[in-house]
Amino acid sequence: MTKRFGPVVANDRVDFDLRAGEVHALLGENGAGKSTLMSVLYGLYSPTAGEIHVDGKPVRINSPSDAIALGIGMVHQHFMFIPVMTIAENIVLGSEPVRSGLPLGILDRGTARRRVRELSDRYGLAIDPDARIEDVSVGMQQRVEILRALYRNARILVLDEPTAVLTAQEITELMTVIRRLKEDGTAIIFISHKLGEVLEVADRVTVLRRGRSMGTVPCAGATEQSLARMVVGRDVIFRLDKQAATPGEPILEVSDLHVMDDRGLEAVRGATLSVRAGEIVALAGVDGNGQTELVEAITGIRHPAAGRITVDGTDITGRGVRAADSAGIAHIAQDRRRVGLVLPFTLAENLGLRGYRKPPLSRFGWLNPKAFTALAGRLLSAFDVRGGDADAPAAALSGGNQQKLCIAREIDSDPRLLVAHQPTRGLDVGAIEFVHGRLIEQRDAGKGVLLVSLESEEVRSLADRILVIYEGRIVAEFPPDATEEQLGIAMTGGALTAGTVTAA
Amino acid sequence: MTVTATPSTVRSPAIPIQRIGLGATVLAGIAWILTLPPIMVRTAVPSIVLGIVAAALGTAVLRDPKHRRLGGLAVGLGLIAIPLALAMANQSAANVREVFTWSAVIASGLTFTTPLIFGALGGIISERSGVVNIGLEGMMLMGCYFGIFGADVCHSWLLGIVIGAAAGGLLGLVHAYFSLHLRANQVVSGTAINLLAVGLTGYFFIAQYGDNGTPGTLPQVPNVSVPLLNHIAFVGPAIGAGTNVLTWVGLLLVPVVWWFLFRTRAGLRLRAIGEQPLAASTVGLKVIATRYVAVTVSGMLAAVGGVYLSDGFDGSFNFDMTDGRGFIALAAVIFGKWNPVGALGATILFGFSSALAYRLQTFSQTLGTLFQALPYVLTLIAVAGLIGRSRAPAAAGIPYVKE
Repeated sequence: MTKRFGPVVANDRVDFDLRAGEVHALLGENGAGKSTLMSVLYGLYSPTAGEIHVDGKPVRINSPSDAIALGIGMVHQHFMFIPVMTIAENIVLGSEPVRSGLPLGILDRGTARRRVRELSDRYGLAIDPDARIEDVSVGMQQRVEILRALYRNARILVLDEPTAVLTAQEITELMTVIRRLKEDGTAIIFISHKLGEVLEVADRVTVLRRGRSMGTVPCAGATEQSLARMVVGRDVIFRLDKQAATPGEPILEVSDLHVMDDRGLEAVRGATLSVRAGEIVALAGVDGNGQTELVEAITGIRHPAAGRITVDGTDITGRGVRAADSAGIAHIAQDRRRVGLVLPFTLAENLGLRGYRKPPLSRFGWLNPKAFTALAGRLLSAFDVRGGDADAPAAALSGGNQQKLCIAREIDSDPRLLVAHQPTRGLDVGAIEFVHGRLIEQRDAGKGVLLVSLESEEVRSLADRILVIYEGRIVAEFPPDATEEQLGIAMTGGALTAGTVTAA
Repeated sequence: MTVTATPSTVRSPAIPIQRIGLGATVLAGIAWILTLPPIMVRTAVPSIVLGIVAAALGTAVLRDPKHRRLGGLAVGLGLIAIPLALAMANQSAANVREVFTWSAVIASGLTFTTPLIFGALGGIISERSGVVNIGLEGMMLMGCYFGIFGADVCHSWLLGIVIGAAAGGLLGLVHAYFSLHLRANQVVSGTAINLLAVGLTGYFFIAQYGDNGTPGTLPQVPNVSVPLLNHIAFVGPAIGAGTNVLTWVGLLLVPVVWWFLFRTRAGLRLRAIGEQPLAASTVGLKVIATRYVAVTVSGMLAAVGGVYLSDGFDGSFNFDMTDGRGFIALAAVIFGKWNPVGALGATILFGFSSALAYRLQTFSQTLGTLFQALPYVLTLIAVAGLIGRSRAPAAAGIPYVKE
């Protein structure tokens, strides 16, 4: 099986081939052209030049239907579902079984359910065909995406950053599924940023950099170091070089905080924590244990139900975002596309979103465009934001550069406390290195840093103190040399049963 | 040892909330019927007491998000029962009996309901595919004029329906072209459609029929007398004899459209496209083509409702005769949560309150006007989310742009 692509805008003479029964990983920085390549394969874009061969025959893929007919299945990075419909409906949509012998295409829901169940049993993907997509976990949704491709008899399966949204446990399960599919002869394209996973599951790796293929290498014999060098084009320092912390007086103090989530349920149930000057406090936990609500309460976005939040002794509880801002809290939002940036705005405008009310950006309510341009000129080069000048829309940047833009704005506000919520989500190794460097810089400059992360490795390498959040409470505190296992147990509520919770 | 407070826990009540809500609704219902035939209590006091109790209990139930719908229903019914009872007790018994001749109320209610059913079904099909159709009013008006015109020219009420539906479908096609092809704002396009329809029908009406109006000797959509039913007491006068063909068709279409949406392949695809067009397109569904068909069918259905108004009920066409019924149908779509069965309930509610308003006018202008406002008040309540938030198809109103 050979596929060739010619120069698409984002792909420059990329050669790529995939054999039956192999896992072929595709690595590259954000914006290196991985997603474009896969979109061409799935018929969402058409190639400007070059050919695609399936089973040795040249084919034209003009639409997803063509791709499906050729046995190509895609698990999108952002899942493509109808959230209000059931799992079975989502899987069969587009090729639904209908009652035979009857006109009008009456759905055969019994057959649909049975075939979905058969498939899920065969690959050990436990799902409930009648559950609604919006009610099941992200990991389950991903299994549904895989089943949907298998239901269409996919022999080639594209997994676009499948692990980005999963918990550690779900990632392990996914790896098992991938191996089983491989034994069945399915060819798999595995796109990821995480070098460890690639080495664990893939047979061969192709690296893309700025739209060009940097070569294909077998995984056997490759190391994280060697792959990272191919991706970034230089050596990457994995171990962070940081001095021991010299924490000063406490900046942020949160006591007995209760916060409701959007559904009115109590998401934070009496959290107490503090962050001192010159230290990075990491909040570790499995997604959905109240981290989002806690961060939103601290940054003034969400009104807490009870409790107290102070910054340098000033009470900012429930006073809103502006009070948090004036008190010196900067916030690197977890969702940079929806919360952190205004995508259609220019880079300069986005950079001015925090300081726009004060001189030099505005005087007496009038904006000063020259000051915006000057600000952008200074920050874009200082934070190495690439992909557009001051007048380009933020939407045009790759994920890593968007994140740099957010970080530039927040750090430039010279905060007392920097709240970084999943600051490296979806970023490539080079960008992660950059973000980590900036966080440590802030710490060394005597700021407090509150890092919220789902990645225990990030937590352990960056933090000076690790707090574990579980079901809305801080259940344990660890030094940075805590083991993965210790953290894992605490993050899943194990510390509670072990009886290590001390009365406040 | 300290006792920690848990602010979120609510103590479970002795009686389940749902049962309180049901009880309150029943009380409100009793408050309604006490002063009406056949019971006819000649004082408003018991109804007022029951109405207040029902509203109070309903307010308590409203606080539980799970039973909001029930609570809202009890509050609404309970509060409306009070002025109703006051008015009834102040009228002569003969008057009350005349207005509330139930068989006549039902027959009249159905005539008011029929155009709304067609309009609402059309609205559901369009919005379920992801296109907001505020132009229902105009499409219905097209049906009004071209139904009469068709019946007149072809000497056949059946061809009148066909031509009326075609005219509505054509206007639907225009709306589809503007909102799908040109990606115009669907509300603006729909409003333009409504204005266009008033102008078009008005122009054709004057050009064709001048000052004399439509002829009085048109082949009208007939009423049917159902064998067996027409001789039963009460049922006969209510629905057995003299219910219009289109009323029966409309009622029958409700389960048909429900079946189509939720039990057929095409219906599943239509709903998928209305929720997440991008996801639907990645499994090979044709978003734009499906929406074109849906909006066109929507216009045809609304137009049949219009044909009923002109050629079925009135027997004539008058300038701008839909008089907001398209918008009420749209309200029924929302009130019925984009479900044909729910929308039927809403159209019946709206239709019957219109019928009551109409009948009440004979002896009380004020009360008639109050009932006239009922559909709008109920819709406001529904949109505000007091009676269970209704959720529109996720992609309704958003132009589809293939990436």
